Amino acid sequence: MRTLHPFTLLAVAAALPALAWILPAPGGGLATLLVALSLTLTPGASPGPAGTGISRSWRPGLVVFRTALFTAAPFWLFLLLLHDVRTTVAIGLRISTMVASFVWLAAVLAPDRLVEATVARGWSVTAAYLFAATLSAVPVLKARARRIVEAQRCRGLSPRGSVANRFRALRALALPLVLSALHEVDERTLALESRGLVSGARRTSLAPPPDRVVERVVRWGLLLLCLAALVRRLA
Amino acid sequence: MSAALRLDGVGFSYGAVAALCDVSFDVAAGERVALLGRNGAGKTTLVRLVAGLLHPNAGTVWVGDWDTGGRAPEELARRVGSLFQHADQQLFARTVREDVSFGPRALGLPAHEVRRRTEEALEALALGGHATQHPYDLPPALRKLAALAGALALEPIVLVLDEPTAGLDRALRAQVADALREHAERGAALLVVTHDLAFAAETLDRGIVLDGGRLAYDEPLAALLTSAERLKPLGLVPPTVAALSVALDLPGRPVRERDAAHTLARVAGGGPGL
Amino acid sequence: MTPLALEEVTFWYPATETPALRDVALEVAAGEIVALVGKVGAGASTLLLVAADLAPRVTGGRLAGAVRRRARSGIVLPTPWTQLSGMAFTVWDEVAFGPANLGWPGHEIARHVDHALERLEIVSLAARDPVTLSGGELQRVIVAGLLAMDPDLMLLDEPTAELDPAGARSVWRLLRLLAGEGKAIVVATSELDAVPDVADQVVWLDDGAVRAIGTPQLLAEDAACDDGLGTTVARIWRAAGLAPPYPLTVADAVRRWP
Repeated sequence: MRTLHPFTLLAVAAALPALAWILPAPGGGLATLLVALSLTLTPGASPGPAGTGISRSWRPGLVVFRTALFTAAPFWLFLLLLHDVRTTVAIGLRISTMVASFVWLAAVLAPDRLVEATVARGWSVTAAYLFAATLSAVPVLKARARRIVEAQRCRGLSPRGSVANRFRALRALALPLVLSALHEVDERTLALESRGLVSGARRTSLAPPPDRVVERVVRWGLLLLCLAALVRRLA
Repeated sequence: MSAALRLDGVGFSYGAVAALCDVSFDVAAGERVALLGRNGAGKTTLVRLVAGLLHPNAGTVWVGDWDTGGRAPEELARRVGSLFQHADQQLFARTVREDVSFGPRALGLPAHEVRRRTEEALEALALGGHATQHPYDLPPALRKLAALAGALALEPIVLVLDEPTAGLDRALRAQVADALREHAERGAALLVVTHDLAFAAETLDRGIVLDGGRLAYDEPLAALLTSAERLKPLGLVPPTVAALSVALDLPGRPVRERDAAHTLARVAGGGPGL
Repeated sequence: MTPLALEEVTFWYPATETPALRDVALEVAAGEIVALVGKVGAGASTLLLVAADLAPRVTGGRLAGAVRRRARSGIVLPTPWTQLSGMAFTVWDEVAFGPANLGWPGHEIARHVDHALERLEIVSLAARDPVTLSGGELQRVIVAGLLAMDPDLMLLDEPTAELDPAGARSVWRLLRLLAGEGKAIVVATSELDAVPDVADQVVWLDDGAVRAIGTPQLLAEDAACDDGLGTTVARIWRAAGLAPPYPLTVADAVRRWP
């Protein structure tokens, strides 16, 4: 699954939610959700990019599937509070399709491959950068959050106890994370600028992911499928 | 006299990878120890064990009469003060003073005691002039000093520090050295991971070297620092003062600037033409 | 043709009234290494940012005087982890980040990256994920990233701060080698004992202004020693009450010792 071209992965992850909303409820939503959930169970959907924090905490197997379910669950609760059962099922299936598709995409899409693909396609470097940096910031921030938690505990901060205690603890953990990250933005900007990341730079693509004909066909096929469904629905 | 810190046959592994194996040593109150070794030798693991962030798979880490095995880091904070790499990222209060007082407050000490410890720690590192500033208005080097002040304010019986002088200039390094010596004189045991051997020579007395997770040397630091052969496999070279002592064959092989100057004056006073 | 010339440069950061640099004049020739020394906050980092055309262009602020740059420059900032591109998932790609942004052809990039990895002695790290590296390893990767861009003017801010002494030595040796190949190098460092063997010219900054410019012998003078900027050997010699001129390095001391 991870050897697929990043654009194909994006296309699949976009087409499923689109179809979920276009096709009539609840059958359409159920079908797309089943497809999305079965994607999360495919063996390719185990880790994020090799070597990042994601890959180590996400073990292959049911983890992606479970993440998708847990992330979608609260939406059902909210929907049930706001609507009757019929609407809840209709919208819930669609939202769950969106969630499952996104969780699957995050697990299967390697940011570096996406960047290479966009650069090879002639996109602007800064746009590609913004996307990749956002994805790759997650493991870095996770590592930093862990360090800050440890440092504050070693200063006597207890994450247990009363609500007031926990609130104080949260402040001591969240604030340094935000402050230190903000503080680094300036230096990061300087570093990137000096390393040639300027808007309008024509970056060389280092290893453009191979894009097979069959994948192009699949992507166009997905687009046509969505359009056809839309036309049929509106007609 | 019982040890402030005692490692008794300590072993630790990350999954199948052994990081420390059968390490035993004592550090007495007031003793100042440098912990040396290559990357991956187990120094950081050892520091984390002492701070209670890890618990040994084998053996026991004692801090005073506490077995760290069953204790959380926040409980150990009453006895262990620690400084990790990237310490400048842990600050969050509105002023340096408030941040330094965070530890004593978290321990639930009375207000006057919090105030006393905070002021003493600020003064020890000459941060008084920055006490009312926001930590992020300071350069990273001073933020690191503020984090160290936070550890000192815990007034622990054991201080474990990971590269406390990285990124500091000579004046700030001297400040840190003074503050640590002062805390050791008041009874704190120091365990300092550092590759800044000039700082180690000025501040610490005893060298413990880890190699592949095992204790390789445990001896007076001066002896270690004047031995280029033993430092080389560790990626270290004798600091300037030690190299000078050896090169000029100064009696007693001093490794501290002041001692070297005294010896040099004495030797030169007896010699002609200098 | 000097790669870099600063003429009476004064620089203010945004929203500050006290300049971070005051009337700084400096010339750096090809093949020359200039060391910037001074206390924390004396202006060395700012001077490097100005020389790299990052201040005021990117930082904001105001500059008076003239900066003449006749070379492609590259800078290494003091904290290695904030300089990672965030776009590379191997060390090789990280080092290739700069050259790729320059739009070089692939084989040129590969040649420069491989060469830079070799020179920093980090070929064995090529496949590692940068976020898993130690501070010292990271620092070499960042320097390699600069080197791979093949700048004529290299600006380095505390490039050895995270390295162990042996690693620091090999970086200093590398800089000497690069200067020998014609690169102009400006390096801010607090590792004063390394300066005599590395630098051709020493610039002593104090409160944003140039206090003195000269050969490394500057670091053995009384004034520098008084300000904590003497080399260790010079300071010991002076503290022992021996007569000036003080030796700079252990090797100097041995020559002077009967």
